[in-house]
Amino acid sequence: MTRKTTLATVLCVASLLSTPIFAETVLRIDEVAVGELDPAKASDYADSILMFNVYDTLVIPQQGGPGHVAHLATSWESDGATYTFELRDDVKFQSGNSMTAADVVYSLERMQALGAGLSYLFTDVKAEAKSDTSVQFTLAQPYAPFVASLVRLPIVDMAFVKANSESEWGEEFLSANGAGTGAYGVKSHNPQEETVMTKSDSYFLGVPDVAPDTVRLRYGLEAATVRTLISQGEHDIASQWLPPEVIQALAKDGAQLLTESGTGAFYFKMNTTKAPLDDVNCRLALSHAFDYGTAVQMIAINDEVSAGSPASGAIPVGMYGANPADAVMARDMDKAKEYLDACKYDAADFNIEVSWIAEVPLEERFALLMQSNFTELGIKSEIKKLPWALFAEQVSKPENTPHISQLFVNAVTGDPDTLLYGMYHSSTPGTWQSPEYLSDAKVDEFLDAGRSAADDAGREEAYKALNARLMEIAPTIYGFDRQSVFAASNRVKVPALSDASQAFGLDGMGFSFRLMEMTE
Amino acid sequence: MASVIGLLFRRLLISFIVLIGVSMLIFAIARVIPGDPARIALGPNAKAEQIEQLRAEMHLDESLPVQYAQFLSDLSRGDLGTSLYTNRPVTTDIVQFLPATLELVFLAGLIMVLVGLPLGILAARYQGRWPDHLVRILALLTVSAPGFVWAVILMLLFAFYLPLFPIAGRIADIHEVQRITGFLIIDTLLAGNVAAFGSAIHHIILPAVALSLSGIGQAARLTRANMVETYKKPYIEMAHAYGFFPNRIARSYAFKPSLIPSLTIIGLDFAAMLGNAFLVEAVFAWPGLSRYGVAVILRKDLNAIMGTVLIIALTFLIVNIIVDLLIAFLNPRIRYSTREAS
Repeated sequence: MTRKTTLATVLCVASLLSTPIFAETVLRIDEVAVGELDPAKASDYADSILMFNVYDTLVIPQQGGPGHVAHLATSWESDGATYTFELRDDVKFQSGNSMTAADVVYSLERMQALGAGLSYLFTDVKAEAKSDTSVQFTLAQPYAPFVASLVRLPIVDMAFVKANSESEWGEEFLSANGAGTGAYGVKSHNPQEETVMTKSDSYFLGVPDVAPDTVRLRYGLEAATVRTLISQGEHDIASQWLPPEVIQALAKDGAQLLTESGTGAFYFKMNTTKAPLDDVNCRLALSHAFDYGTAVQMIAINDEVSAGSPASGAIPVGMYGANPADAVMARDMDKAKEYLDACKYDAADFNIEVSWIAEVPLEERFALLMQSNFTELGIKSEIKKLPWALFAEQVSKPENTPHISQLFVNAVTGDPDTLLYGMYHSSTPGTWQSPEYLSDAKVDEFLDAGRSAADDAGREEAYKALNARLMEIAPTIYGFDRQSVFAASNRVKVPALSDASQAFGLDGMGFSFRLMEMTE
Repeated sequence: MASVIGLLFRRLLISFIVLIGVSMLIFAIARVIPGDPARIALGPNAKAEQIEQLRAEMHLDESLPVQYAQFLSDLSRGDLGTSLYTNRPVTTDIVQFLPATLELVFLAGLIMVLVGLPLGILAARYQGRWPDHLVRILALLTVSAPGFVWAVILMLLFAFYLPLFPIAGRIADIHEVQRITGFLIIDTLLAGNVAAFGSAIHHIILPAVALSLSGIGQAARLTRANMVETYKKPYIEMAHAYGFFPNRIARSYAFKPSLIPSLTIIGLDFAAMLGNAFLVEAVFAWPGLSRYGVAVILRKDLNAIMGTVLIIALTFLIVNIIVDLLIAFLNPRIRYSTREAS
């Protein structure tokens, strides 16, 4: 070995030794049984997590406040029924293709053609590419929440899909592969086991070094398994579906509790077509007899964190038209008795069916609470357990719909329209969201006004009036505003789920991995 | 040999008829479970027109006989349809998930035989003495609690309090193994990756033991009971009179005739584990077909239900044929009776 070779070898070894070795950071989270990777079919929480990380949308919700900000777009303008978006010209898909207006048009048409997931948000919309960086949406009629709806229109890489699939929409391909601009790419996807995602080098906003390098989203883990995994340091963020006692146990073991709120509520929906609940006084009697305080206590994780906060009315706090957070609903037995006296039916003849969804054991406790509350008012009730599939079928006919149905309902775009229109407009009865079968001209008027209002102030006014009207006619007992709670290890910091000023107000978006920070 | 081939032929014929019967039964049952599959598949926000369109695509708007004929026609082409649960062809799902379950069940079955039978022999050999009492207590304990209870107990003991075994999955995250057979133990060996092989074994031990425990108890109790009966036979008495060693009597004269009834039950247990594995798979996050089967039933995913049940029924029948052949091999009387019958 010559002197030069020896020197070179020593230098190489020295440089290797002096180079810091960064271990790959892995974030492990879990969700329900199956993750749907195809963004046009995404509808539940697991699908949303995948969608918000693998794909991007033209706009995203403003962090820590109402409204939306441009994301893949740079700006937009609207005259009510037409929206024109200018797009960024520096965005590349993970395949390396540039994102253009043609991809936006393809993504919309694909969603409409497949007709799955949340495609109903875009039923009467047409898109046209005006240039590579300009796209125009034309709506059949003015729809104020349209910009909010766009958080559910992920942009798909048209050329990449067509190159990898024989079919126009590439359903099979996109069920197993990603084709987005997102901060994370899909490394592998087993819908029953896990999806593995890795940081994308080409992300247009860049991904900070502290964000996890790899994310493993596991599906269908049992509560006992999750608890053991987190305790052993083999899991980072548990799903919100853990039983409260398991979350409590994890918190006691030192896990941090992350929260996401402002997107929905828990409702006790009364069938307004069935005696005696077709009488507004009778409904008001039940809603005043319900013990809201105990209901909120039942979902408390500890003294500081709960899976819900007291409702202040029909609209969750934080949305247009909501009442102030401190104007909470409370039990009032005197008023309940007054309303009961005014009811045209005899309380002794009542037998209220209170249903609960078999897959959600917590609802049985609420059913028992209601039974106890109503007994104090001298009203008999009967508790009925219904599997979800049977419930969804039964509510398609008012005569088969139970007197009271318990439901969690979320605004899928974060806008109150997607929470309230499907529940209360008279044109949408008989779905799982609308077992009230409400038909009220004023409610319809306010809901339509919320859709057509020209500005935010107009929308605020419409929804405030709607809230007051819904309180007045009480088609629903407004149980509590929902807050999702996630137990997490201390290896990860998630500002979007722990700091209100960083929160998105949209289900699943708090799980934007690029905004997380791995501390180990 | 001819008699065994005849037996095999008859069993195959009967199995085919059973499979047709199972398919008709499940086809009918799956359609009377409450809930509209199209509505469930499209989600809560789907419009009525979309639901109707999917119902038409799935032929749900046609009569049951027409639907069944369509199913058989598709099946003859190896097409089990698309799963509404995973949005993939059911055959793709089965090919992906079945090996994980089979690997688990094979190992659990092996543990059941290797532990259950010797425990039964031990108990019978020392009948009425402490090894017998111990085995009977253990057998009672294992039989009286279902597999998923053992799964949780084992997880708490050997993963939570004593972190000796991994809690979830089939292999450590760091290993990437190319899928050849889908059986990770085999694939890691074929790849020559010793560390990955070790990891696969490490991951499968707890779920396999949990799944096998009730079978171990049953095999031990049955073997013991049969051997105790056999010990009363005159030829065993004669063996004792000749002064043969007790271990030799147990092994060579008492065990073989006692094995036949045990074998039948072990065969049934083994096949039943395919169905019972779902809770163990759920606890250990084992991505197998049993867990998939339960999930598709809850979602009323008709194509996937049919595919899963048919595969489990087919495996059940294959195991039964193997057991029948083994019994015929072990018991000459069955062979001869088959030959006479044919």
